[in-house]
Amino acid sequence: MKDLGGWEPIIGLEIHVQLNTQSKIFSLAANRFGDEPNTNIDPICTGQPGTLPVLNKAAVAKAVQFGCAVGAKISPVSQFDRKSYFYPDSPRNFQITQFSDPIVIGGTVSAEVEGEIMTFEIHHAHLEDDAGMLKHFTSFAGVDYNRAGVPLIEIVSDPCMHSAKEAVAYASTIRSIMLYLEASDCNMEEGSLRVDANISVRRYGEKKLRPKIEIKNMNSFSNMEIAINKEIERQIRLYEETPNLQIQSGTYRFDVEKQDNILMREKEGFEDYRYFPEPDLLPLVITNEYIETIRAALPELPHQRFKRYTEELDLSLYNAALLIADKKLCDFFEQGLEYTKNAKNLCNWITVEFIGRLKEKNLSLEKSGLSSQNIAHLVALIDSGTITGRMAKEIADEMVAAPSKDPREIVEGNAKYKPLEDLSAIEPIVDAVLEANPQSIADYKEGRTKALAFLVGQVMKQTKGLASPEIVNRLILSKINS
Amino acid sequence: MSLFKNSAFELRNAVQSGKLSAEELVSYYLKRIAHFDPQISSLLSVFPEKAKERALQIDQKRKEGKKLGKLAGVPVIIKDNMHIKGEITTCGSQFLSNYRAPFDATYIRHLLEEDAILIGKSNLDEFSMGSTTENSSFQTTRNPWNLSCNPGGSSGGSAAAIAARLAPLATGSDTGGSIRQPAAFTGTVGFKPTYGRVSRYGLVAYASSLDQIGTLTNSVRDSALMMEVMARHCPKDATSFNMPAEPYLELLSGSMKGKKIGVPFRFLDDLEQESKANFEKSLATLRELGAEIIDVDLDILRYSIAVYYIIAVAEASTNLARFDGIRFGVRSKKAKNLEEVFDFSREEGFGREVKNRILLGTYVLSAGFQDAFYRKAQKVRTLIIRKYAEAFEKCDLVAMPVSPFPAFELGSIQDPLQLYLQDIYTISVNLAGLPAISVPSGFNKERKPFGLQLIGPQRADGRVLQMGHLFETATQYNHEIPPGFEVEL
Repeated sequence: MKDLGGWEPIIGLEIHVQLNTQSKIFSLAANRFGDEPNTNIDPICTGQPGTLPVLNKAAVAKAVQFGCAVGAKISPVSQFDRKSYFYPDSPRNFQITQFSDPIVIGGTVSAEVEGEIMTFEIHHAHLEDDAGMLKHFTSFAGVDYNRAGVPLIEIVSDPCMHSAKEAVAYASTIRSIMLYLEASDCNMEEGSLRVDANISVRRYGEKKLRPKIEIKNMNSFSNMEIAINKEIERQIRLYEETPNLQIQSGTYRFDVEKQDNILMREKEGFEDYRYFPEPDLLPLVITNEYIETIRAALPELPHQRFKRYTEELDLSLYNAALLIADKKLCDFFEQGLEYTKNAKNLCNWITVEFIGRLKEKNLSLEKSGLSSQNIAHLVALIDSGTITGRMAKEIADEMVAAPSKDPREIVEGNAKYKPLEDLSAIEPIVDAVLEANPQSIADYKEGRTKALAFLVGQVMKQTKGLASPEIVNRLILSKINS
Repeated sequence: MSLFKNSAFELRNAVQSGKLSAEELVSYYLKRIAHFDPQISSLLSVFPEKAKERALQIDQKRKEGKKLGKLAGVPVIIKDNMHIKGEITTCGSQFLSNYRAPFDATYIRHLLEEDAILIGKSNLDEFSMGSTTENSSFQTTRNPWNLSCNPGGSSGGSAAAIAARLAPLATGSDTGGSIRQPAAFTGTVGFKPTYGRVSRYGLVAYASSLDQIGTLTNSVRDSALMMEVMARHCPKDATSFNMPAEPYLELLSGSMKGKKIGVPFRFLDDLEQESKANFEKSLATLRELGAEIIDVDLDILRYSIAVYYIIAVAEASTNLARFDGIRFGVRSKKAKNLEEVFDFSREEGFGREVKNRILLGTYVLSAGFQDAFYRKAQKVRTLIIRKYAEAFEKCDLVAMPVSPFPAFELGSIQDPLQLYLQDIYTISVNLAGLPAISVPSGFNKERKPFGLQLIGPQRADGRVLQMGHLFETATQYNHEIPPGFEVEL
């Protein structure tokens, strides 16, 4: 970690995640992004007089799922509260949230930070409703209530992160968990996952926390890293210039163009939200049976999948992390595993060979039309010796051009993909290679199996990859051993 | 016999059997409204065309041999803080003078399903805040028994209209006594069900944990009839009981013999003389009917006004926050920026009492004061609930007066605190979520009505209606009609 001259950054994150339930948290209006303004609304989510909130059970289920996934305590009785503040995007001018008794308490996530596995504490997570969106036009402002009432789970960490990288690692892990639970789209650009950071610094050894500031509007993890680092630097600089300074609390917004944090509003004193229990909603009672049902049905979580990939499938840490980080890619790989047991090769062919080829054509794996099944079949063909690695590369080119083609059919229909099995053609080459590499023969006889692979490789080179590797292997061995 | 002397129960029987057409019935009451309402100004809006159209539909339904609903052809007046789709819901406020309800309140849907005919919206204290209906920003409603007196509040419009026989049935809402007190003041029957018995979806909220929709009628049987239709579970109201409708009409029959009625004598010690005499007369009637009157300890009720005027206003301050001039209602024409839209619209749209309560409610929830006021009040509320529960271990119902005194002159009490103190007998019932009824119990020297209040434990709505019905049958005060309004047109 960077040496900050004895200063310890203290970072806490509040992550708001929109849950992808069909309808909103307190009404039946549709929960959908991107539709025409004010089309996914009903009298409840526009705060019409005479309306009442009714809690969406699916939102509760997703919150409990999250709690189970991070090993948190699910509160047996939790409560909703009214949080009062006036703003046009708030249809009732109070938000319904959980202030005193949230549904999820505690929890931990582990994440890899620069090669090390670190554990971060969650303070709590609670359910609340999202506000509408204010849109500014030239001569007026308008409010779109499509988003008003969308269920949010707000995940509040302990102030336990000490660098921007740690914060990013924590946030990406939370995001990953929510994706694996299929509880949210977690799209930072669309706003279905929003991260606010609370940042302060202090000298190492100081017991008390110094005043913190809040940064909002960090719409990507890379921007988040920049924003947090800038703020840490700023605070350190201010404290070093004026040792007894009391930094003014405030809320900052990360400006993408300026790549810096801009002050939105200073906090004088504090905002009084006058929280009190929401009288229109009964206390939320969650039984142990319910929690266990949810827990038993949890899908495989990222850290569990990572363990399986590294321990059972013997993938490298790098490859495992690469796959886990992109759920769609990972699911694609999982599907492929149904057709071949060679996880390593499958991973390589997907992430290096095919994605590499697609990149050149500016295509994404998703849009390419390729199926993991077909890629798995290709791997299987190589493994069974039906084709050589070199042939596979050509077949891969053909598959990219015509994505729906099954490689087995491609091989069937094309003579050039039949590996050379004609002994009379191969044997002279084998003899020539063995003659030219006496040291390798000696090495092999001493037990160095790599020497055999080298010899096979030399023959394959000479046959331009067309010889059947199986036959070459057999021939070399028989000649060496005789 | 004049039609208006019939109960709703009898009228719907007549429509169901074909003896009376819905069209006839509706025209009859529309005529009474046109003739008599100018004297009392109980209604804010009337729907003659829609009502007649509906009546014709019901008559047609009958002709086709189809089954008619439980309220067939009966005109109903709705307090103007509850939604009829497409009609204006003013809540007695300038703020909502242009607000058309986007949906029917759940209970309204049930009334319509049972072939009731909605005939008009009645006047009320603005946002149900008040006990004389004088806080309406539109008009002053007069008590048919004495036109210089108020009809009580906040459901004064409905109560006055029922007393004047402008319709057989009306609805009101009761947060601290707003159905029972106007019923007592107008010699009508006012019933507030157990909290959660009738859906609040479509009632413009004043105090969420206290509001309940109920009935204003001229007989307990008519209340029972309405309650059979209105008291249902509603999935749109999370505080609505998940229990089926109850057969309140059937439950009316029975006897008071052996029933124990609790009276908090100590608490009623300084009741005003006339009211005390009337209350004691009512107790004598109950004894004659076979009930045993026992003493119960409800001393804690002396805190109920303080508790109510903290909790109710706290909830109200947030319930009324949505009235900001942004989405609906009247936006101030003077506003030039966002702050002004909020400030001026509310300044212009709300009356004085509403502003008082919003300020008070905001204060008792604010940081530094919430513990001392709001939380403390909630704790005392729990004590009130417990004390009632203890009382109900010893008795079947509690009896109390409804109000310290009967209807008083319009404009005679200006001090809001004075008015608040009058709620002393009704207010605790809402804090404990109990069912209660006000049944006419006589008159004073000036021929102003009194009401007897019977209160039951939670979910004992049937019992309250039954005992109220027995008292009414024995006393028959509900048949009295205010002078001048008994004229057949």
